[in-house]
Amino acid sequence: MSTITLFSASDAIAAFLLAHIAYVFPAPVKGWITSGDVVLGLASLIFGVILLGASMINTIMLIWWERKLLGRFMDRRGAMHVGFAGLLQNFADGLKLFRKDTFRPSKADSLGFWMSPTAYMVTSVVIFGILPISTGWNGGSLPLTLLLALVIFSFAPLFIFLGAWASNNKYALIGGMRSAAQMIAYEVPILLAVVAVVVLSGSFNLTTIVLEQRNYWFWAPLFLALIVFLTGMLAEMERIPFDLPEAEAELVEGWNTEYGGMLFAFFMLADYVRYLVGSILVVLLFLGGWTLPTYVPSALTSFPLAGIFWFMVKAYLVFGGFVWVRASLPRIRTDQLLRLGWMRMVPLALLSVVLAALVVAAHCLPVLGCVPSMGG
Amino acid sequence: MSEMWVNMGPQHPMTHGLWNLRVRIEGEVIKDVEPEMGYLHRGIEKISEDRHYNEIITLMDRTCYVAGLAWEQLFIVAAEQALHITPPERAEYIRVLSAEFQRIASHIMWYAAFVQDIGLMTPFLYGMRDRDLILDLFQSYTGGRLTYEYMRVGGVRNDLPLGLTDRCRKVCDWLMDRFVEYDRLCLSSTPFHERCDGLGVLEAPEAIAYGVTGPMLRSAGSRRDLRKDRPYSVYDKLQFDVATATTADVTGRYLVRMEEMRQAVRIIRQCLDWLDDHPGPVMAAQLPRWLGAPYAPVGNEAYLLKRNYPTGVGFSMVEEPHGEAGAYIVNDGGEHPYRVKFRSPVLINIWASKRYLPGYRVADIPPIMGSVDVCVGECDR
Repeated sequence: MSTITLFSASDAIAAFLLAHIAYVFPAPVKGWITSGDVVLGLASLIFGVILLGASMINTIMLIWWERKLLGRFMDRRGAMHVGFAGLLQNFADGLKLFRKDTFRPSKADSLGFWMSPTAYMVTSVVIFGILPISTGWNGGSLPLTLLLALVIFSFAPLFIFLGAWASNNKYALIGGMRSAAQMIAYEVPILLAVVAVVVLSGSFNLTTIVLEQRNYWFWAPLFLALIVFLTGMLAEMERIPFDLPEAEAELVEGWNTEYGGMLFAFFMLADYVRYLVGSILVVLLFLGGWTLPTYVPSALTSFPLAGIFWFMVKAYLVFGGFVWVRASLPRIRTDQLLRLGWMRMVPLALLSVVLAALVVAAHCLPVLGCVPSMGG
Repeated sequence: MSEMWVNMGPQHPMTHGLWNLRVRIEGEVIKDVEPEMGYLHRGIEKISEDRHYNEIITLMDRTCYVAGLAWEQLFIVAAEQALHITPPERAEYIRVLSAEFQRIASHIMWYAAFVQDIGLMTPFLYGMRDRDLILDLFQSYTGGRLTYEYMRVGGVRNDLPLGLTDRCRKVCDWLMDRFVEYDRLCLSSTPFHERCDGLGVLEAPEAIAYGVTGPMLRSAGSRRDLRKDRPYSVYDKLQFDVATATTADVTGRYLVRMEEMRQAVRIIRQCLDWLDDHPGPVMAAQLPRWLGAPYAPVGNEAYLLKRNYPTGVGFSMVEEPHGEAGAYIVNDGGEHPYRVKFRSPVLINIWASKRYLPGYRVADIPPIMGSVDVCVGECDR
């Protein structure tokens, strides 16, 4: 059985569709329509649509997952009434926001105000195109996927600050500045933690990084880097305890104070896209991606789409950890956050890079084994 | 960034009510604050001049909507003094029981709102869940969950239903367990201390100079508590300790309120034991006829009544959950008071924010103002 990839599936769909509409056209057009280039073009489009749909549905399910988990942490049930166990609640909420009037405050800058949510949304969703979900289920195996993903991920403060400034609102401005300061400060420890992974795996390609974790997952030797990465991701995602850019107690809603209706939905959806991407990055870099340890019975890994299944389970569990943190910690202050970032996270991240280098120097670890590319 | 004024209110998540805190900030540092009150002014003092004494009790519930029974008690103590009425002792114990339960409910409400201010969501829901138990108790003997209209001049409206004291004991046991949980959620978490320690410091001499009372004053080490210093009702027969802290900051106020809730449970348990052993009437026997009348007399009758009853002045001070509340009632012999004046502790506590807010950061405003326990209803009256 040849492995089905997302792209081969889209290719098959495109070829099937084109072959069935081609017969209505005269000969030259017919030949052109069924040619490889057109099929490839349509296949790319279908690929994109499937990816977008899947990521959007997953994002909305992530909101459901957070609501249910938070509910349980808080001794209540979360959404219950729309759909089974409230599964459709977020779709209903989205519909409500979609029907709401979208308006711009009269003193707000038009271009920045409209552009910010759109750009924030687009730059968040684009990352899904390059994240490998399972073998063959990605848009293309570029050599520098990891770097590209992090670069796109770090666009966000720019657009947040743009929207905050354009809103012409003091709360939004303060929130936007906090957001920019926080995100830029936490880029550094995140990148350093990623460097530790790169040192160990010898590659910037996410697929390769996952495959290098065949023998052991990287969280075991790089536990420090995992801690730094998780903390940094919390700050990048602007979640409690680092949600001070939108600290509702003092800044109303922070940088998106002036956004309502569908524009707010864009921000919120893009936020959850970023949460999902963050969780996925944790899974890819530290938790073995779609692979399971070798001692797991093969029945667990051999059913169709097992890779994607385990991958999503891991991603949702990681996000569950973020929700747990949200349920139990208060919000900290900007100066404390920045101090934590520069004084604690950066040294820890540097230490983890050194640890990774030591692991590489040792080639194989006593209990865990070896990284495949280093002779395992 | 240059200086700017930010309006935190009248509709702002920090305010917990309807008021406006104008803040002059430079970057994130607070330079000056200016509280603006009066958005919730309903003229309760003026309305009271046109109401029966027993009808004013309904206004008291609405004065502070989280501590209705405490304010009922405040008014009742002053009104009974003005009208020369002595309530039976059982009624006094029931009032103290109610007021202490109300104190716990109010402090839990404060806890829930306060932790929400520093970004903790879970304890908020825990607090609301546990407060509901107390509201259930209130409902079973007053009929109301928020506005009770339970106390009367000369006693209380009805005696406790059968079996209520046992239910109260169960709730007390449950609450004592929950207080441990509250402390574990807050005091044992480092971010909580980072957000609360050393913020909004108001030392005792300054607090007294500003007229700040209640947990805010006691958190600075002062042992002032009207229940001890100027005992009203039956507080002089009950054993309890005054909760104090020494840090005069947000954490100190947290500790004081937590300890006050434990002491309130202690008082409640004593009241319950007394109430079980001493059945009896809950209304005074000799009451003016019109005090029992549901509606104000009309026409000549009112004029006649005005001549027939003794005049007097009533003054009471009560340790309300937020601080020291005062009531002054002038009775000129009619069925309505001639003049009523209330002292709201929250108003004073908020006004002192000019002293304890500047110098801290914008992000510190919610915890500091949250630790004040703002109840705008009693503030604006």
